[in-house]
Amino acid sequence: MNKMLEEVVSIEFNRQIGKDTCLLGFRSASLASLAKPGQFLMIHSGRETKDPLLRRPFSIHRIQDRNKLMMLYRIVGKGTSLLSALKENDPISVIGPLGNGFALPRPNEPSLVMAGGMGIAPLFFLTQVLKRVQKHKIKMFLGFPTSQEAVLIDQLKDLNIDLSLTTEDGSLGIKGLVTDLLDQYLGQELTNKPVIYACGPTPMLKKIAQKAIKSRLRCYVSLEGYMACGLGLCQGCAVKAANNKGKPYYYVCQDGPVFSAEMIDWEVM
Amino acid sequence: MAFLPDLSVDIGGLKIKNPVITASGTFGYGNELTPFYDPSLLGAIIVKGLSLKPIPGNPPPRIAETPCGLLNAIGLANIGIKAFIEERLPSLVKIKAPIITNIYGHNIKEYAEIAKRIEKVDRIAAIEINISCPNVEEGGMAFGTDPDTAAKVTNQVVKNTTKPVIVKLTPNVTDITIIAKAVESAGAQAISVTNTIMGMAVDVTTRRPKLTNIIGGLSGPAIKPIALYLVHKVVANVRIPVIGLGGIMDYHDALEFLLVGARAIQVGTANLINPKAAMEIVNGLTDFCMREKIGNINEIIGSLKTK
Repeated sequence: MNKMLEEVVSIEFNRQIGKDTCLLGFRSASLASLAKPGQFLMIHSGRETKDPLLRRPFSIHRIQDRNKLMMLYRIVGKGTSLLSALKENDPISVIGPLGNGFALPRPNEPSLVMAGGMGIAPLFFLTQVLKRVQKHKIKMFLGFPTSQEAVLIDQLKDLNIDLSLTTEDGSLGIKGLVTDLLDQYLGQELTNKPVIYACGPTPMLKKIAQKAIKSRLRCYVSLEGYMACGLGLCQGCAVKAANNKGKPYYYVCQDGPVFSAEMIDWEVM
Repeated sequence: MAFLPDLSVDIGGLKIKNPVITASGTFGYGNELTPFYDPSLLGAIIVKGLSLKPIPGNPPPRIAETPCGLLNAIGLANIGIKAFIEERLPSLVKIKAPIITNIYGHNIKEYAEIAKRIEKVDRIAAIEINISCPNVEEGGMAFGTDPDTAAKVTNQVVKNTTKPVIVKLTPNVTDITIIAKAVESAGAQAISVTNTIMGMAVDVTTRRPKLTNIIGGLSGPAIKPIALYLVHKVVANVRIPVIGLGGIMDYHDALEFLLVGARAIQVGTANLINPKAAMEIVNGLTDFCMREKIGNINEIIGSLKTK
């Protein structure tokens, strides 16, 4: 069983960095020391309030100075809207770190990191770690709907990785989707096969996973699920398993959120 | 002056050290929350509903949040009674609280068969019969909405076990007291009131129900007044103990149920939000009794003043 804890922490900053996109930071040396890229936190902005009732899952976006954790989130509903209104020193209740996290590449195996929109949240942390502990060649395909939603470009450039940007309307980088870049990339002769790490909207992950399986590439996707607890209690966050002989469903909170592409039944996704 | 109040209660022959029990489906298979606290502190633990054969559960999305409520259609996903007894129960050895299994069958025979298997397992202290799940096609709530069927299921389980039998009722009936009386006559030693209330939610953009199952069961603070009313009603109509549940988030909520006459309470949805909720309710009840100089929790139970 993973080590996990519940803490009430004070927000250090919580600011909008793009259209409907916020970055929140808080300090917790204990959570920071346990956290691995791909893991997530269950957060409640005010446990005394009953609406919204449930905690929401947020992937760990970045760790800095060994004790500062950051979350990148989009304002999509009531919970994230209330969260975005919180200020410096406001308390939030955090449970974590939860889930399995990404498996790291083999020695000398290059990484292809593919992020769509908020999918960059856990992949930034992964890239940070890949860059620091392993001297890997990292290629990143990063896509946003428009330049308005595009965030973190400078920080990613600072990581000194091979970054290609796309927007759907062409307002920044290449016009199109990150999956278009994958087509081109896989069309080339690959001497050293990469391991793919992907996070983003389900249609994007489906496309990437199916291509990776076909091309026999190792591919890890980080999934989202409607989740009540994040702790394996409610069995709400089910995702259909590809191989029916074992478990018919995996649970995103316990078996994931990171899955090897061939584990998931993509037909029903 | 400090004294420790006596919080112990008797539920149809099952003596528990305090009236706080975890509700089925919100406490996993018993040890998921041990990183947060020792479940031995609780009165009893009811584990995830178990069936004769494993059940995969419903296709996702299985949950949706509504104002102050949680709508779920898990579909009784579980590993089956055999795997629970062989694989999960041994890992609960360090937990000193009684383990109660919630059981579910597709037909009356299956309920009897599960009861037989549990009878041989000393570690399981009691059985809670689920005749109230709204999220499965056959059985489940269908058994709990007809008094004759509810009585038959109860009778079959009682016949096949010496352990206390608790029947968990559905609120989705016109008159819950008819079902309550029927299961009491059939030999139930206690009744849990209430399971989730049927509900649904719609995504107006996609024009689809938020749950793939279309309908689900509503839990959480949104249903507490209804649950409290149903407990009040059942308590007045049966002699056997009633376990109250529905939206209990803190010790204050628990006290409301005890005051209307629940002998014990179950903590459900609260576990999902605050992993320490059940433990905090035990502590809250202890502190309350000390503050109010109540030596025995039974002084509170059913002491509602209506005049």
